[in-house]
Parts: sequence; structure tokens; C-alpha cells
Amino acid sequence: MNTPFNPFTLPGGEAPTCIEMLQLILDGESTREQLEYFVLHMEQCPPCFQSYEVDMQIRQLLKSKCCREAPSGLKEAIQIKLNGQINF
Amino acid sequence: MDEISRHVYSEEEKNHIFNEEFLPLIHSMYNFGYRLTLDADDAKDLVQDTYLKAYRFINSFQKGTNAKAWLFRILKNSFINDYRKKSKEPGKVDYQEVEAYYNSDEVDRQITPDLRVESLKDMIGDEISNALNSLEVDFRTVIILCDLEGFTYEEMAKILDIPIGTVRSRLHRARQLLKEKLSSYARSMGYKNT
Ligand SMILES: [Zn+2]
Repeated sequence: MNTPFNPFTLPGGEAPTCIEMLQLILDGESTREQLEYFVLHMEQCPPCFQSYEVDMQIRQLLKSKCCREAPSGLKEAIQIKLNGQINF
Repeated sequence: MDEISRHVYSEEEKNHIFNEEFLPLIHSMYNFGYRLTLDADDAKDLVQDTYLKAYRFINSFQKGTNAKAWLFRILKNSFINDYRKKSKEPGKVDYQEVEAYYNSDEVDRQITPDLRVESLKDMIGDEISNALNSLEVDFRTVIILCDLEGFTYEEMAKILDIPIGTVRSRLHRARQLLKEKLSSYARSMGYKNT
């Protein structure tokens, strides 16, 4: 059996842990190659799969519940203040 | 701000950058301000101050570079200088402790989360927002910058004036703290095996 090359492998040849791979993926810092490797890895690693699912669900919650819009009129208030300063 | 790469824009160019590149980011800016101050009025003032500063220092903004990262950095600095003192903030975190934690074996056992997707799907109220707001401000910040705004490690390091390694470990710890909070909500919602 030949193990496919792990693109997460550190320059020193050190094997990455699951958590290290997962964090790189979550943080959006993985290469396309690493992402592809991780998708395959998850199929055989239930802890990674579960963890990834939970993290993605949290992210979705953050996006849907934690993005407050600026109050209406704030943009205009800034523009008015700025115009006042420039003309002054 | 960076004095070396100073440009001199014409009034017209200044207004163009401000109106076309800076102002469209108002919602992200406001949300960041709100999550830092946890107060709607303070957030409004903070964002307004930030935009006025941005205009004043616009010559140090390099056209074609990331306007959002540039503005977020000004906002974060304004927050530290003008608002941090008066905001309701729990004690500061000992980062050495955080780094030590990150480098320990304790981390790996966390790979199996104490939280289920099903219980998260039932969090349809303010649970996530309350959980996020309950985190210490530096942890809250990295979650917002990474998960909501999609900044890279490098951009976050610049916005926060910290090394990339610190960004990484802070983000890792922040995610764990957020999950711990959410797990306790899940337990209180009646999920036995959260
Ligand atoms: Zn794994």
C-alpha cells in the first residue's frame, strides 16, 4: 500500500496532527492541494469529520446571527461631518 | 501610519477613494465596532471617528491595496486608544499562558468536539451572539476577522500588530472558548450528550 503524499507535511518532514490540519482549513490558510487531501482524510477520520461539521455550523451561525448592519443614516452622518471639515 | 509610502491624492481622488472604497465597507466596520464595544452608540461613534481619521490620513493609503484591512486597523487602534478604557471589559488574558496551552498535548484531545451539529441547529436565538460577546475582546476579535470577514493570517497580523504565530494560537483558543460556551448552552437546552 502506498500512502499518498501529505501536503500538510512540515518542511522538516514532521507529520501534522489532525488538529493542525483542521485549523489550517478552518482558518482559510490551506492550499487547494491541502484542502483536497483533507476532504479525503475526513472520510476516514470520524473525529475530523465531526469537528469540521461542528465548526462549519458555528461559522454559519456566526454569519447569520452576528452581522449587525450599520444604522441607517450613519453613512450620511459621516459624509456631512466630513464636508463640514473640508469646507471649514 | 506608514510615512514612507505617502501619496498625494487630489481632492477628487480622495473623494473617489473614500466614497467608492471606504464607505461601502460601513456594515463590516459597524459590526466590528459593535463587537468591540458591545454598545450600539459607542459603535456608531467609533465608526464615525474611524472614517474621519481615514480621510485625514488618506495619503498613507496605497491605492490598490486592501482598504478593508487598512480601515479595520484604524478602527482597532481607535478602539484601544479611546474606548477600551470605558467599555465593559473583563480582565486581560495572559497570552503566555495561552501559548503554553497551545503547545501542550492537551490540545489534541479536543479534536472530538463536545458539541453536536444537531444542538447547534437548534440555536435559533441569540445564543451564538451572546457566546461571542462573552469572550474576552482579543478572542472575539480574531473570530470576527477570520470567520466573518475572511482575513488571512497575514492581514490579521497587520491589523492587530501581532506576529502570525500569535494570530494562529489566539484563533485556536478563541474557537475552543466559543465551543465551550455553546456546549454549556446546549446542556442548558436539555441536550444530555451535547
Ligand atoms: Zn483526522
